[in-house]
Amino acid sequence: MKVLLMGHPNVGKSVFFNRLTGANVTESNYPGTTVDFTKGYMKIDGEDVELIDVPGTFSLDPKDKAEEVAVAILYENKDVKVICVIDASKIERGVYLALEILEEGYPIVIALNMWDAAVDKNIQIDINNLQRILGVAVVPTVAISGEGIKELTSRLKEARPVEIDDIIRNAGGLT
Amino acid sequence: MEKKLSEMEYEEEGTVTDIEGTLRKKVAGMGIRVGKRLKMITKQPVKGPVVVVVDEANTSLGLNIAEKIIVEMKS
Repeated sequence: MKVLLMGHPNVGKSVFFNRLTGANVTESNYPGTTVDFTKGYMKIDGEDVELIDVPGTFSLDPKDKAEEVAVAILYENKDVKVICVIDASKIERGVYLALEILEEGYPIVIALNMWDAAVDKNIQIDINNLQRILGVAVVPTVAISGEGIKELTSRLKEARPVEIDDIIRNAGGLT
Repeated sequence: MEKKLSEMEYEEEGTVTDIEGTLRKKVAGMGIRVGKRLKMITKQPVKGPVVVVVDEANTSLGLNIAEKIIVEMKS
């Protein structure tokens, strides 16, 4: 199995990558740190899983070099699952990217990362309702401390493609 | 009153009413869509960027992009 870590710049993808693979990829507190991609391996339920740390991108409509790399990696790898890492305090733009990836037919799980920061900002997110609407697993995480990472990997096997029309219906139609 | 996002003054707030067609997809990923409320907090001359707050998150835009986004000012 192959898994891509995707999300906006500076949401913690590389921290996830290091946590999951035990590697030591450069992390820093500003966007655009990962321009090239990094590959690593982990084991889930005894199965070898290849993990790719994809550069951050705001959408599948690339605007710069790093985003071009990100989109190319996604399109080159058809038979993969995607961990979509979202900054929980900027959830709306994150879900936009998640929807774009779903629209391309990829099975995803969503990591609502920096959950602690969102809680500090008094941002409340109805995870169950979000899971119901999107039809994918949504897991609150704090990559830096490791919170939620186990649940995230264990729910990877649930990931399957979702029809956008179903999501629209679950959300109560287009407004 | 409507004005271009690039013409907004510091701390001014408004609602996006129009985005140039080709740009819509490009800025949607950054949380900027028609109907969204935003506030301008920083602006640099010549090329930008212009920094706006949308949904509590900061987003920076080039001036050439900010010129193509029309905002209805909060009165």
